[in-house]
Amino acid sequence: MTYCLHILICLSLIIIQTTVMPYIPLFERFYDLLTPFIIYLSIFRSVRESIVIVFIFGFFMDIVSGGPLGLYLTAYVWLFIGVRWAITFLHVGDSLLLPFVVAAGVLMENLIFVGISAMFEQSPRIFETMVSTIVVQVLWALFTGPLFLMFFSYSHRQWDRWFKEILAKKN
Amino acid sequence: MVMIIGVIVLIAVNIILLSVFNRRYISYYRPGRIAISLIAPFQKASTSSIHFVRDIWRHYFFVVNVAKENDNYQKALNKAFENNIQLKEFKLSNFRLRNLLNFEKTITDRVLSAEVIGKDPSPWFKTVLIDKGKNDGVETGMAVVVPKGIAGQVTDVSANYSKVLLIIDHNSAVDALVQNDRARGIIKGGMAEQCLFKYVLRKHDIEIGNIVVSSGLDGVFPKGLAVGYVSAVIKPKSGIFQEVTVTPYVDFEKLEEVLIVLNPKKKKFEPEQ
Repeated sequence: MTYCLHILICLSLIIIQTTVMPYIPLFERFYDLLTPFIIYLSIFRSVRESIVIVFIFGFFMDIVSGGPLGLYLTAYVWLFIGVRWAITFLHVGDSLLLPFVVAAGVLMENLIFVGISAMFEQSPRIFETMVSTIVVQVLWALFTGPLFLMFFSYSHRQWDRWFKEILAKKN
Repeated sequence: MVMIIGVIVLIAVNIILLSVFNRRYISYYRPGRIAISLIAPFQKASTSSIHFVRDIWRHYFFVVNVAKENDNYQKALNKAFENNIQLKEFKLSNFRLRNLLNFEKTITDRVLSAEVIGKDPSPWFKTVLIDKGKNDGVETGMAVVVPKGIAGQVTDVSANYSKVLLIIDHNSAVDALVQNDRARGIIKGGMAEQCLFKYVLRKHDIEIGNIVVSSGLDGVFPKGLAVGYVSAVIKPKSGIFQEVTVTPYVDFEKLEEVLIVLNPKKKKFEPEQ
């Protein structure tokens, strides 16, 4: 049932990102909404539960995006590994650190994008545009990232409670 | 030490896999088709809902502006009527000249309309998903246009949906020429929804405002379709090319419906027996 919730959240995030947000000029350079979810999985959920979602939705994002196939998959896998490694010596569950963790995650994802694009694209991108896009995304992540993590955590608690209630009624 | 070696090996494997899968044409095989079939219907429903709400807003709450707009449209219609007569004259003379030179018709009238149901999730890439696919006769490589000009090219096709690479994407390239000067170059995606007109020789006098049209030489876009207008020209003191920026006529932010040019397959020559 937890997988159902993860799939539901990820699908909703992809749909919002590809259909709703492009129509709102304010969110023109908003960060990838799945990034905070991958960070949430890395920090608060088990590897066994998370890795399947990371792979499936990395692939889904690659399909809906115009980048090289495997770009999102690479970014998500390394983001997952990086955050799992960071929580071995950082108390990232601490709410004060969460904005910086999300911002670092967004920065890491963008650097992977830029690195891979530089490797596979024939003509270089314009440096100023790249830097401004990354800065805007990191700033967005710094201020809104923890809200997403809180929402994911709340949804999970509600889902578990709802599921337990259904089981109790059946028994 | 083992961990560092492990990470290096992982990175190496990752890069190798990426370069193998970088050939996009394999992306819509079975797993990709399943993924797109799962996401696209939701995207279509979401886009339709957004359009529905927006249409209600436009039609019922903005009635005040309609009368004013109507006046403007009337003026525009009169102007268009004048232009239409002039264009008919051009069409007739063009027809006569083509017959005279025995030119082949370069574009068919067969176009297929499609709705944009989703945009690229990343600001780094400029693609859109449309609600027509292989079942509607769409094939990879077909040109996608709107009445204002060229929009992009179909890069991936599944049964009912296709992905279109817009001309403002970094990976897009369109063979084009300046309408009055006939200076030739390649339109590449640039920054901030603008395009770079590359490989234009310095000898050409290109001015701001000049219209850029497709040359038809790339074999994808029909000849003579509007691409955009020249918005900046930099002639460096050295080098053989000049730097030209082109602003596309198509507003990609508001791209909702597109037309796919269904050019018939070219006849294959049968070997003589």
